[in-house]
Amino acid sequence: MTGAICTTAIWFSRSMHTPTERPQPTLARASWAVFQKDLRAELRTRYALNALVMFALATVLMVSINLGSQLLGSEPLTPLVNAVLLWIVLFFAALTGMARAFVQEETAQTAALLRLHAPPLAVLIGKWLFNTLLLAGLTILTTLTFGLLMSLHVGNLPLLLVVLGLSSLGLATTTTLIAAIIAQANVRSALFAPLAFPVLLPLLVIAVQTTDLAFSGAAWNQALANVQLLVAYVLLTAASTMLLFPLVWEA
Amino acid sequence: MTAKVAITLWMIGVTAAMFLLVPAQQGLGNTGRIIIFHVPTAWLSELAFLVSAVWSALYLWKRRPVDDDRALAAVEQGFLFTILATVTGAIFAKVVWGSFWNWDPRETAILVLLLVYGAYFALRSAIDDLERRRQLAAAYALFAFAMAPLLTFVVPRLSDSTLHPNCAFLQTATCKGITLSANGVGALGETILELRGIRHEGDLVTADVAARRGGGDATLLQPSYNTHTGQQVVQPKLAGTNFMLVIKQVNGDGSIFLNQQAAGNQSQLGNLRTLGTFLASLLGFTGLFWWIWKLRVNVMGLRRELTLDGLR
Repeated sequence: MTGAICTTAIWFSRSMHTPTERPQPTLARASWAVFQKDLRAELRTRYALNALVMFALATVLMVSINLGSQLLGSEPLTPLVNAVLLWIVLFFAALTGMARAFVQEETAQTAALLRLHAPPLAVLIGKWLFNTLLLAGLTILTTLTFGLLMSLHVGNLPLLLVVLGLSSLGLATTTTLIAAIIAQANVRSALFAPLAFPVLLPLLVIAVQTTDLAFSGAAWNQALANVQLLVAYVLLTAASTMLLFPLVWEA
Repeated sequence: MTAKVAITLWMIGVTAAMFLLVPAQQGLGNTGRIIIFHVPTAWLSELAFLVSAVWSALYLWKRRPVDDDRALAAVEQGFLFTILATVTGAIFAKVVWGSFWNWDPRETAILVLLLVYGAYFALRSAIDDLERRRQLAAAYALFAFAMAPLLTFVVPRLSDSTLHPNCAFLQTATCKGITLSANGVGALGETILELRGIRHEGDLVTADVAARRGGGDATLLQPSYNTHTGQQVVQPKLAGTNFMLVIKQVNGDGSIFLNQQAAGNQSQLGNLRTLGTFLASLLGFTGLFWWIWKLRVNVMGLRRELTLDGLR
């Protein structure tokens, strides 16, 4: 805990201002500092990383151990079933790790320090960058293991990459705001899924449908409307998160 | 007091009219009457969502505790009305469509509302500090509300193929009917249809269709269609299903386009007595909503005044 406080304090005093004069850091610099601080703290403990990777592996194995032995010699799973299974793994794995960025600040009691040193928007962007990076890694790892173990056939690989990328962005944006909310509540981990699920539902529905299209090798024009909806979701959540986050963070 | 008595009498009147005034719907019998209760409660549960978002935004702007009371009271009402709408809808769905839950677009939408309301209560109960509780709850309500427009685009896509396709009652679904010429044979779902003849009487077109399901005997159904108004006149029930056989279109070459359709799929509000009762019910429920909401806001205000929070 002290380690985390020291990291935060030292990092900010070094990177953002000198004691004598206090020039306001630009938003980009401040956000980058928050991101780097989070990354450094995470690499020291590797708590979220370990939890996420192990959770994702365990769930993929859980699916594969029961279904994988069936794959040889019998009917393969339909693309839709594969898409649903993949997204169940991704969704719950994301929920285990995404809350960490804010909950950690509250449990280590470094949140007040961060409030003093960085503007809310910089905290949001920094944490969002960190969460996006974490989620991108998780998505790549999970999809690869899932694909290998389930001998997945991907008909339209570029489409799959676009879907996973956009959905990760949307997932990271929404969960960053929800994590900021629940970090200030009493029963943090129990609240995350119920709060996140209703607002993530549109994203999950479209993501599953488009992943299904990608697995079954649909052409781009078939998936275009879905991709547009995913972009709309990302933009909508980004805008509302930027508006609401300062109110949540200062609460 | 006056409001209480007036609303009570009004709702009794609506309930009586629902059974005495409203004619039984074709193909539904008395089941169709539940619509008089079901639709207003569903509309109000959506309205409550809007009301709570408006007061939440106002709370975040002005920081008046009474605005938070108003938002919370709206969510409470919304939760209540959502449950009412879901239960009445599920009863209707069971009787008419054969299962309590079908993942029809509106069912999905109301489920999301129910989840949002539930999450809102869970969040409030997990925060001790009053100001923080109000602020975070308001932020969450607004965030959930911002997702609502997207849902209207996303939800209709569900009906297409993925979860529970039931083409017979989803207007947007892609259930393909069949076009039959005289003596033609085709399958509609699991029913085999044979068109034995078409009769024209003025604008009225009546088809003699032999319907067979599984290994059973064929039954003769005579759906009819008015080419002038473009409306189905007779819609016989398909044996062994919950659906009716309808003529969708009469083509120039003498063939007809047939499809199956669930009862209760068409608006009954063209009937003046049904429309009147429906509007009265909507008014009554809105009054009820407003009255309970007001009462809850007053109670919460009193509670605030009686505790330390009122002194701050």
